Parts: sequence; structure tokens; C-alpha cells
Amino acid sequence: MNITTIVHITGFALILIGFWGMLTQKNMIKIILGLAIVETGVQLVMVAFGFIDGRTAPILDSAVELSKASSLIVDPVPQALVLTAIVIGVAVNALMLTFVIRLYQQKKSLSINDYKDLKW
Amino acid sequence: MIKRLIPLLLVISLFFILLKVATNVAPNYDLTGVAKTYAEQGASDLGAMNLVTAIVVTYRGLDTLGEVTVLFMAGTGIALLLRRKKKKNDSGIKNRAASEILKTGSKLLVPIITMFGAYIFINGHLSPGGGFQGGAAIASAVMLMFLADSSFKINHKVFVLIESFSGIFYVLIGVLGLVILGADNFLDNRILPLGTFGTILSAGTIPLIYTLVGLKVGTELASILDNMKGELE
Amino acid sequence: MVNPIYIIAILLGLGFLLPSINKAGIKVTVTIFFLGIIAVTAISYQWLSAFLIDGQQAVQIFTAGFKPPMSINLQMGLNEAVLITLINFGALLGAIYSFKYFAENGIQALVVFLLFILGMNGLVLTRDIFNIFVFLEITSIATYILIGMDLRLKSLSAGFKYMIAGGIASVFLLLGIILIYSKTGTLNLDGMIAAVSAAGSSQILFVGVFILIFSVVIELKVFPANGWALDVYEGSDTGISAMISATSATALLFVLYKVLPLASIDLTKMIVIIGVLTFVVSNLFAIMQKSTNRLLGYSSIGQIGLLVFVIASKDILGDNFEKIFFGLLISHFLAKAGLFWLSGIVKAEKIQDWVKIKKHPILIFMFGTFILALMGFPPFPSLAAKWSLVMILAENGSFLWISLVILASILEVLYLFRWFGYILKLEDSEEKVEKPQHQLHPVYIVTLLLYVAGFYITRSFDAGLSINFIPLAFVGILFLIDFLPVYIKNTLVMIAVSYYGYILVPGLDTLKLIFALIFLVGGILTFIPGYSVKGKRIGFYPVAAMMYVGLIGLIEAETFFQFFFAWEIMTAGSYFLILRGKRSMSHALSYILFSAGGAYLILFGFALSGAETGSILLTSLSEVHIYATMVFILLALGFMTKTASIGLHIWLPGAHAEAESDVSPMVSAVLLKAGVFGLIILFIAMRNNDVSNLFYILGWVGAITALLGNLIASFQEDAKKLLAYSSIAQLGYILFALAIMTNVGWLAAIWYSITHFLYKALLFLAVGAIVLKLKTHKMYEMGGLIKKMPMSFISVLIGIIALSGVPPLAGFGGKWLLYNAFILKGWYFQGAIIAFSGVVAFLYLFKLIYSIFLGPIKDKHRKMTEVSVWYLIPQYLIIATLMVLSSKPRMILEKVGLYFKEILPENTVVWNGDAASTFVNGKLFGVWDPFYIMIIVCVMFAVLLGFLLFASRKATKVEMFNIVYSAERPESPQTAHFSYNMFSHYRKALGFLVLPLVTNFWNFITDLFHSSSDFFRKFYNGNAQVYIMHIIGFVVFFYFILNGGIF
Repeated sequence: MNITTIVHITGFALILIGFWGMLTQKNMIKIILGLAIVETGVQLVMVAFGFIDGRTAPILDSAVELSKASSLIVDPVPQALVLTAIVIGVAVNALMLTFVIRLYQQKKSLSINDYKDLKW
Repeated sequence: MIKRLIPLLLVISLFFILLKVATNVAPNYDLTGVAKTYAEQGASDLGAMNLVTAIVVTYRGLDTLGEVTVLFMAGTGIALLLRRKKKKNDSGIKNRAASEILKTGSKLLVPIITMFGAYIFINGHLSPGGGFQGGAAIASAVMLMFLADSSFKINHKVFVLIESFSGIFYVLIGVLGLVILGADNFLDNRILPLGTFGTILSAGTIPLIYTLVGLKVGTELASILDNMKGELE
Repeated sequence: MVNPIYIIAILLGLGFLLPSINKAGIKVTVTIFFLGIIAVTAISYQWLSAFLIDGQQAVQIFTAGFKPPMSINLQMGLNEAVLITLINFGALLGAIYSFKYFAENGIQALVVFLLFILGMNGLVLTRDIFNIFVFLEITSIATYILIGMDLRLKSLSAGFKYMIAGGIASVFLLLGIILIYSKTGTLNLDGMIAAVSAAGSSQILFVGVFILIFSVVIELKVFPANGWALDVYEGSDTGISAMISATSATALLFVLYKVLPLASIDLTKMIVIIGVLTFVVSNLFAIMQKSTNRLLGYSSIGQIGLLVFVIASKDILGDNFEKIFFGLLISHFLAKAGLFWLSGIVKAEKIQDWVKIKKHPILIFMFGTFILALMGFPPFPSLAAKWSLVMILAENGSFLWISLVILASILEVLYLFRWFGYILKLEDSEEKVEKPQHQLHPVYIVTLLLYVAGFYITRSFDAGLSINFIPLAFVGILFLIDFLPVYIKNTLVMIAVSYYGYILVPGLDTLKLIFALIFLVGGILTFIPGYSVKGKRIGFYPVAAMMYVGLIGLIEAETFFQFFFAWEIMTAGSYFLILRGKRSMSHALSYILFSAGGAYLILFGFALSGAETGSILLTSLSEVHIYATMVFILLALGFMTKTASIGLHIWLPGAHAEAESDVSPMVSAVLLKAGVFGLIILFIAMRNNDVSNLFYILGWVGAITALLGNLIASFQEDAKKLLAYSSIAQLGYILFALAIMTNVGWLAAIWYSITHFLYKALLFLAVGAIVLKLKTHKMYEMGGLIKKMPMSFISVLIGIIALSGVPPLAGFGGKWLLYNAFILKGWYFQGAIIAFSGVVAFLYLFKLIYSIFLGPIKDKHRKMTEVSVWYLIPQYLIIATLMVLSSKPRMILEKVGLYFKEILPENTVVWNGDAASTFVNGKLFGVWDPFYIMIIVCVMFAVLLGFLLFASRKATKVEMFNIVYSAERPESPQTAHFSYNMFSHYRKALGFLVLPLVTNFWNFITDLFHSSSDFFRKFYNGNAQVYIMHIIGFVVFFYFILNGGIF
């Protein structure tokens, strides 16, 4: 089993664990954590897709000869995408927690079951 | 048990979807598509050693501008949502004072962390790192100060100014590309000379942009922390 | 051209700037905020006009100085220009509507709104898949904040649910992007689409594309993964809901449009199904909804579902795709934004509470505009778009989709018009509506834009520019001058109708001439009583004129589209007219439901015909063969909803009886003839299409309608209801006569159409005027009015003589022709029923005149005087016409016979002087000489009357006095009245025939829909976690279907 596979499987496992959490936990903070775990899983999967066994980081320093760069480095694109995805994920999670703070303030409850006033 | 059955079924179903992906992933042996082009031309095009940075700041600069926007908006939104009435600002419960170790340690560490953060974003085009990472490091310094001193307050006016103007300058640098180079050159880093490959002052506007991003992210994350730590009403 | 990048730069730059100039004060900030939005709107409009006017070609804008796939590129084409103009202008209006609300919540709200606009522009412009993700997040996060910022529990919990759903969608999107990227090596959408279609079958791509498309579809709030979205619509501030429903949905739809080429054929089909399902289910759930904003939410989701369906059917729709898409989108966009804004102004939580705008005609007008635009009534863009959609679907044999779209549209009609009925008809509430000007202006603007867009988009569909908008413009002017007093508007309308007739009539053939005269003369006659009304009669003239415009449009129509367009105008106008009656709420609703249902059947029928023959002309119906039976049934049913044949009649009695006194003759004597006209056109065109069995069936339907209509009429206590049921029966005669399909049969039908128009107008005018005066419909509350209202008595007398078919008046001619026709045809059984129902008619006619005019007069009516002269004038004009026609029918019937001779050569009528005769195998069969009959009967009448007057000259008059039979009064006084339950003995014998079976059937159908709506909408139980399950369940369910199993 090479590193790519391990990371992939870890990523997928995190996705499933995260969804399990979102589906079973009643505490809103835990649901947000579930989503965060799913995001992490997806980010791992993304990075793993860019990985090539035995290659180095896409930084063209002394370890990488410029003319042969394309045969020495891993794919830089997923890394760039993950960077963006992480930042956006952080922003969304922070905002979600803010909503929970405000919701808690109104009903003094963190249970998702207590916020069903809008329905049908 | 029955309550758990539906989630279980759903997660198992998802498992089968992911299984299909997992069983069909073939390991990469070579760079393909756009990644190959980046690897071959990135250095000569943009003069950045760190290809990820080249992609993030220039090739896919619009994404990054969007990313900065998202973070900025989250900060704004959190400030909006956690706004509080001014009168009640001081009536919060007194927090327990931090321990001596934390106080002393933070005094020692804060300058170093801040400096490290700055280092990360200034060297973003040369080594792993960049504006977001550097900004996050700086924000962690602010967080340490919050922990060490519960009465510590950030200077909002200054922070807002830094946030605003680093953002505006970022947009202006992008627009300068349009003005100087042409309609297809928004966020082109080559409005400044590319310089000598591998030095600090190379890669055109990349270090400049990353510095602005670093400042912006640092102040934004710090403001978010500040907003979240306060008591509400 | 200003580089569209500047849209991004301006919004972003201002977004960053605003927090730092907080000190300058709110005025400065708000000014800058608006300048920014105006600037980007101007940029997008500049592009739009370049595309539309200067023939600009689509351009690609690269960033960072590199070409894709290395860099991100934007595309600006016509579609993009239309969409961002729409979005930015919508956002500008939204900002005007909401800026005070924003400013109350803090300057940050302004920033977030700017970035919200930025996100949507980016979504439309970008051609990079990951960039779509980024802009999607910007839009979503901005939306979350805008929803939650007022910190109410409702908005916070709705926002939280949205965030969870949005979070799941975005992780799916990321996963999809990376899976596709790993196989295609590019993030550029065009490159990706090319690579995916070149890649062949790949499991990774299969999953990647699926999950990517589904993440977009979830963002579009499709059923069933949309419980959160409804809560969002309900929980958010209305200004924000308007933006979510209009602008951001638009941007998201375009994202689907952009990524859908990645999808395989099967996946695209799946989206088609999901779109239709969403449209149907949302509208079904909406019918039980009482909360205003949630109802609008359901409606929004339904409309978006329809648009998803349209996008996924792009390949089928071909060249018409853009027009259909934009037609539907623009209607939804403007109307829904307008409705949400209006909801924010009215501040009524329940739809019943909207009654408080009853006294605000302008608000009602705008509300009416919006709901008509949503449902696709003319002249709005959605009509032409829906029309074209159904036409093309029919060409492709997608009948199931057509049926579902029609079903959902009828449900939409149900809840939107019910709501409209509540506004006009519920008890007025004391609550006042505050009308903040800055919030009203955007609503005015979208109302206006709907008409402008309707005009241009309808014309873009209408290749020959065949739709005549001038009469509609006249209706529009009537709305504008509605503040004028009645007599001015009445005169104006009558002049307009006469003038239009003057232009129209010379060019018409005999058939069209007859119906044109019915509509035009009917129009003028029924407007005369309007002079008796004092004040302004707000809203009457525009809608009455609308109905007549539609009717005349039917005459002028050459193509299917013209006909349908006119039909819908007539339907809308007549609905509003009927709704004006006092207790007409439920009747008007059932009228519009049947009418809309009928209209959709007509649409379906036309579409099938067009699909087979490829022609758009009404006459092309004769070339239909494969679908002949279907087309015939659909169209016949459609027209029969208007002629109220048995089974489809239940809307009529209430609608006609409860309408205003001068509206009843309009909708009864005149409007019903539209259905007859449609049937005639249909029968003429399709007489050779091998549908003769269907004519036979229709003959029976007509006969049964006649019998039951008359029977039920006999058991009525309400004078106007009696007349209404009588109309049903009379229309039954006409249907029967038409179905005979011989020359004399059609003469009978035409003769009945003309005479029914005359005598029913006469009776409704006479009875209506009396009802107006007495303030009761009930016949047992009338009586003995002959001396108080002798003129009305004569009218009613003439009317019932004409109707009953006794010589010498016109009805006799109808009977003579009809009996000849069915005997010559050999339809003896049906003929017997017709003859029997003629006898039944005497019962109610006798009851009518006897209960109103004869017998003892009621105490309270002793001081009663004759009805308004404005009602008498048209009555006596009609009587004069009736007299002339009754004695000289040849002048019409001969021409009609000749006109139909080529079409129906069988059993013609031969004229000799004034006498008509029919022949069978060359032998004389029947003769009718109306002129002699007239003379003879008149002489007999004069002699008898003279004798009676002579004989009774010595009679003494006895004053009526009150008789108390015993010490007690009856508990319900009406039972003591001679005319109450007059024919109870007949009822004992024939009552089984008048059991309300049909009413029960339709009640059962509506109950079924309502209870299933109520049951299934519980599915959205408000729990965010359950919504997560819906979303994941939705994705895995469709995944396994697409995958063909688990593995």
C-alpha cells in the first residue's frame, strides 16, 4: 500500500465519519464539527490526488532542476485548491459557530431538535 | 436503534459511492494537463520558486481574491452577528486571571510569532507558506495575548484600516494589470520586474500581494477572535 | 466596452473601503454603496445593449495575462449580459427596498450586500469550475449573513439550516471538482467538457460529474432536498427572500446551465425528472400553505424546478431554448421579487390577512400583475415561453412531461387565485397598510418591467408579429384612467367597442361575423346599464374591456398562438369580472380553475396538432390524423369547460348568479359563446378526421346537459341561479345541435347561439335589475311586482316566451330547426331527451315569472318602483331585435346555411319567401313560415287580450291585506310562500337525476389534492438533521439509480 492509497482511504474514512456525526449528533456544535471533519476528509482526498510517489514538493529550489521540474515535482494544482478550500472552510465554520452562539442565546439549547419552529 | 438505522443506511450508501472512487483510483506517474504546463513554464513565466504560490497568487489569482473576500466577509458577518449594545460592554463577568507562566511566556512569544508570521508571508514565493499561513500565525499571536490578559483589547480602528487598505491595495494591484498590461491581465504579477529568480525581491507583485494578504488575514482572524471572545449582552 | 473585471474590482474595492470610512457618516456610506451598484448595473447594461443593438460577439476575458487552462477566464456573451443585467438591476432595486433595513443592522450589512452582488456576477461570468466554487461560497456566505443579521430566532434558525445544506453541497462540489480534475487535468470548464466527452467511460469521472452536478442541483433547492430552503424563505426578511428567489437563483440556474454539458445523457434525463418533480410537488404542497412567505417560497421553488427542467431539456428545445428560458426566468424573477417586496410592505403573515390591501387598488393591481405573470397569462413573457415549451415537448412526444407541467400549473392557479380571492372578498380588516415610498418604488418598477418584457418577449416568439397589442394597450389605459367617473369610462368603452367593430366587421366571413356581432353588440348592450352606477366603479372597466378584447381576439385569430393568447386574456378578464360579485369568492375560484384547466387542455391539443402537422394555423387541425382522437378530445373538453357541459358545469351557476347584475349577462349571454365558437372551429376543421364516434358521444353529452340543466333549474329558489342553470341547458342544445353535423343542425346551433344571447341577456338584465333593486336573489322573497315594474314584466314575459320555444318568437325557430335536424339524422333517443327537456323548461320559466311578478306582493315591496332606466334601455333594444329576428330569420339563416353548405352539404334548408322547408330524399319534410306565425299569433293575442280586458271591465279591485292564519307564525317564513319548493312533487319523481354527483366528484378531487398536500408536506418537519438526511438520501438514491445498482 503506497502513501497515496493510505491518504485516500483516510480521507474517505473521515468523510464517512463526518457524515455519521452530522446525521447522529443532536448537538449543533458537533454537527458543525462533523461538517468540518468531512471538509478535512475532502481536503485530504484532494491533496492525495495530486501526489506522485517519490516526488518532491512543487518548490523549485536547489533540490529541483528547473529544466526537469515536470518530472520531479508533485502536482501543485490540488495544493493550491486545498489552500483556498481550507480558508473558505474556516470562514464558513466560524460563521456557523456564530449562528450557534446566537441561537443558544435565544433558546438556551444546543440541541438541533429545539429549532423546528419553521416547518411544513 | 431504529433512529440510527437511517443514518447508518445513508452512510453505508455513501461508503459505496466512495468505494467506487477508491477502487478505481490509479496512482499518478506523471504530471498531466495544466499541472505539467505550470511545472515547465511557471518559473520562467512568473519567477516564483514556489509553484503553489505562483498558482495561488497569479495564475488563479481570481480565486485567491475571492478567498480573501470570503474571509473578509466572514469577519464582517461575525462582527455583524455578534454586535452588542455598547452600554453593556463592561458589565461582563470577570474572568480568572491567567497564570504567571502564560503571562510571561506570551510576552516572550508574541513578538517572535508575529515576526515568524511576517517571515512566512514575505517568503511565500520562495518557500512553503504565504499570506494565509502567515496571517494565521499572526492571529495566533493575538490569540495568545487574549489568553494571557483577559482585559486585552485590540485597537479596532487600526485593525479596520489595515484590513480595508490591504484589501483595496490588493484590488488596485490587480487593476493595475489591466491598466498597464491590457484587458486580459487582471492580477498579472508582471507589472513589476520579475527580478532574480530565487531572491526575496523577485516574482513581480507576488511578495507584495502576499504581504497584503498576510496583513489582511492576520487582522481579520484577530478580529474574529476578538468578536467571539466577548460576552453577549 | 468596460472590462467586466471592473464589476468585480468595483464591488470588491468598495466592499473593502466601506468599513474604513464609517466615520464619514451613514449618508456618505449609503451614497457610495448605491453608486457602486449603479456603476456595475451600468457596465452590465452597456454590454447588453452592445449585444442586442450593435451585434457584439461574445468575448473571453483572461486574467493574469495567461490563457486558460493556465488562468481563470471570464466569458461575456449575450446570455451572460442578460443575466448580469437582470441580477444587478434586481439587486439595485433590492438595495433600494432594503437599504434602511441594512443600515439599521450596521454598515457591515451594506458591505455584505455588495459582496453578494459580486458573487452572483462572478458565478455568471466565470468559465472556471473552481472559480465557480469560490463565487458560490461568496454568494452563499453573503446570503447566510444577510439572513441571520436581524438576529430573530426565525432567521437565525433558517440561516443555520441553510448553512448546513450549503456546507454539504460545497463539500460535494469540491469532491466532484477534484475527481474530474484528476482525470482531465484542467479546471477550465470548456476544456473539462471537451475532455470529459473525449474520455469515454471512467468510473472516477462518473462519480465526479454526478456529485458535481448534484451539488449544484442541491443549491437550486430541488425536491426533496429543499426543506431548508422553505424555512429560509419563510424565516428571512422579505427583502432578502426576494433576492434569494430572484437574483441568486438566477445565478445558480446559470451555473447549472454551464456545468450540465459535463453530464451524460442519463444524468441529464435525471435532472429533467428532478426539475419536473420539483415543479409538481412544490405546487402541490403550496395549496395547503397559509403563511405568506412560505407560500411564496414553495412557488419560487416550483418555478425554479420548472427552469431546471428547461435547462436540462436544452437539447430538445434547440433554438428556442434561450427564449423559453428567459421568458420563464424573467417572469419569475420580476414577479417573485415583486411579491416578496409587496409581502414586506403589507406585513401580513397569513395570506388571509392580505385582505387589508382591499382598499388599495394600486397594490391589488400590482399583486394581480405578479400572479398573472407567474401563472403565464398574457401579456407576460411566461405565456409565450410556456406555450413554446409545450409545443416543442409535444413534438418530441414528451406527453408525460406536458401532463405534469399542466397539472402543476393548475395547482399554481388554485393557490394563487385563491389568495387573490381572499384579498378582494374576505371581510375587510381594520389594519392599515403603511406604504413606505422607498419600498414601493422597486415594486412599481418591476410591475412596469413585466409589461415591457411581456411585450418584447411575446413578440420575439410571435414570428409573424400576429398578436395585436393595441386593444391590450387600451385595457392598460383604462387601468390608468380608472380614477375617472363611471359615465366617462362607460362612454369611452362603448365607443371603443363600436369603433373596433366598425374596423373589424367588414373583413369577416359569415361565421365570424355572427360571433363578432354577438360579442360586440353584446358588449355595447351590457355596458349600457353601467350608467346607472354612481362613483368610479374602480376596476370594473379595465377587466370588462379585457374580456371583450379576448373575445374579439378569438374572432381575429388565425394561428394557434393568437387563439390561445386571446383565450387567456378573455379568461383572466372574465375571472376578474366574476370575482367582483358579492359572494363570488369560491365561485370565481372554481370558474378560473375550470377555465385554466380547459385552457391547458386546449394548449395540449394545439401542441399535439402542431407536432403532427408542423403548422401553426388553426385550419391545420384538419390535417391531423395520428393524434386525431386525442386532439379532438382535448380541444373539445377545453371548449366544453367554457360552455359548461354536464360534468364540467359546476362553476357556472355560482359564477353567473353571484356576479353583479350587469355582469351576469356579460358572462352568460356573451362569454359562453366563446366556447361555442371554439367548438365550431374545431368541428369544422376536424369533421373529416375520423372522429365521428366522438360526435355521437358529444350529442349524448349535449342532450343530457340539456335535460339536467333544465331539471336543476326548476328546483332553484334563486332567480339568477335558475337562469344560470337554464344557460347550461341551452348550451347543451347547442352542443347537441353541433354534434349532429348536418347543415340544418348547425343552423339550429347558430340560431340558438344568437337567440340565447338575446333572450338570456334580456332575462339576466331584467332579473338582475330587479335583484339589484330588491336586494335579494330569492324568488320566495319576491312576488306581485307586476304593477310596480310593468316594463320589467314585459321584458321577462318576452324573454320566457322566446326561451321556451313557443311561437311566435325566435325560440320556436330553434326548436323547429333542431327537431328537423335530429329526426333527419335519426337520433331519436337523444331527440326524445331534448324534447322532454323542452317541456321541463316550462316549469322553471313559469316559476320565474309567476314568483316574481304574480301572486301577493310582499309588504316591504309596496313602495317599490320600476328598475333603473339604464337597465330597461338594453332590454327594449333586445326585444326589438328579437321581434325582427323572429319574424324575418331568413336574413341570417339563409346566409349561414350557404356558408355551411360546402362544409356540411347534408340536410340543407330551402327558403321560399319567409318560409323555410326541409326535404328528405327530395320529398318535403317540414315547413316553417315565421312571418305568418308571427302575424297569426299576434292577432290571436290581441283578440284574446281585448276580450279579457272587455270581460273584466267591471271587475272590482281588492286590496291585499295581511292574513294571519292562526295564532302562530311559521318558523321559517319562506316555507309558507307559494313559490318555495314549487316543484317538490316533480322532485320526488326525478330527484335522483339531480343528485350532486358531479359536484361531489370534483369536491372529492380537490379534497384528494388538499389532503395529500397536507399529508406529504409534513415531510419537511423543520429538523435540520432530517434535512441533512433528505439531502444525502436524495444524492444516494439518484446515484444508485444512475449507477444501476449498488456497485
